[in-house]
Amino acid sequence: MSDPVHEFTLDALEWHPYVQPVDLQKATPEQLDALKVTPSNTKVSAYVLVLAQETEMLAERSPLFNDIMYSDGGLSRGGRELGALAASFVNHCIYCAQVHANRFIQLEKRPEVVDEIYNNGLDADLGEHDQALFNFGVDLTAHPDNVGVYQFYHLRETGLSDLEILDLIHSVAIFGWANRLMHTLGEPHRKD
Amino acid sequence: MTTETTVDVIDKVLGLGPSSPLLALRDERAKLKHLTQTSYVAALHPADPRNFSYAERATLAARMAALWTSQELQAHYRDLAETEGASGDVLSIADPAWTPEDEASRLSVILRHVDLVTKNPKAATRENIEKLYAAGLDDRDIVTLAGIIAFVNYQVLVVAGLKMLRDN
Repeated sequence: MSDPVHEFTLDALEWHPYVQPVDLQKATPEQLDALKVTPSNTKVSAYVLVLAQETEMLAERSPLFNDIMYSDGGLSRGGRELGALAASFVNHCIYCAQVHANRFIQLEKRPEVVDEIYNNGLDADLGEHDQALFNFGVDLTAHPDNVGVYQFYHLRETGLSDLEILDLIHSVAIFGWANRLMHTLGEPHRKD
Repeated sequence: MTTETTVDVIDKVLGLGPSSPLLALRDERAKLKHLTQTSYVAALHPADPRNFSYAERATLAARMAALWTSQELQAHYRDLAETEGASGDVLSIADPAWTPEDEASRLSVILRHVDLVTKNPKAATRENIEKLYAAGLDDRDIVTLAGIIAFVNYQVLVVAGLKMLRDN
């Protein structure tokens, strides 16, 4: 097996849990329901199988995550990925960062933004709009007890509406959640 | 916890009344608002609390809110802990300066994990999970604990962001 990866990378990764995932063959009806396993969809990631240990939370969390990242209107999909990426850099969730950096590139076709973040981390020097989103993600993740007029002013300066700011808050916050699961319950390995 | 499951906790702690513009904004994202509330119930008061009592969940949440000096959530979770009948060591959990005398106890190990993953999640490693197993937690306990920590931290960030919108 390949060694665990401890540095940020854009290479394809797979996540190896430290705890025992649910065995799909022995899953209860509640677990299968929370896993959204159907006869035509039996492919479930190790991550989701780990979370299925606690079915009631997983059943709420999956649709919440999807609504935060993919709902219509408001902040652009790419903007939400940037919020996710900022959180994942602060919390050092290498797997989360890899997934959402690649998704940003796919959506926005601007790999140079991700390159700058991967090269300079939290000191990344970005265009005004991206910088405002990224800085807010960093500040809210690292110091939720210290966001206020300064952060708000910068978000407004770049032209964000209330709904866009609300979407950004949620995309950063849901990674405060996701990072604390993914980074603490397992680790990434490079795909062979 | 009957009222807690029907009243939106975040609206409540932020004091958002029917005429609040922020309440109207939150309602533009009604689905995620609802799922945030159902996630709260799943983390704090699930149908089967198993090895983490409702009182213990509430005081752990109060501790995490205190670690981030989220006064609104801290007050909410202290009230909830009282409603859930927290007493003795379980009540003490809510104070982040408190640690049990027996440093090797299940509760000590859990609190060290909660404090680390709340304030400095990037420092967590496989070794931290191994310590939880050594303290007697099983696979499901570890996922339950991770879920409670992760949810409360999400809630702290949402409340912090919404407060910024409310006050500016």
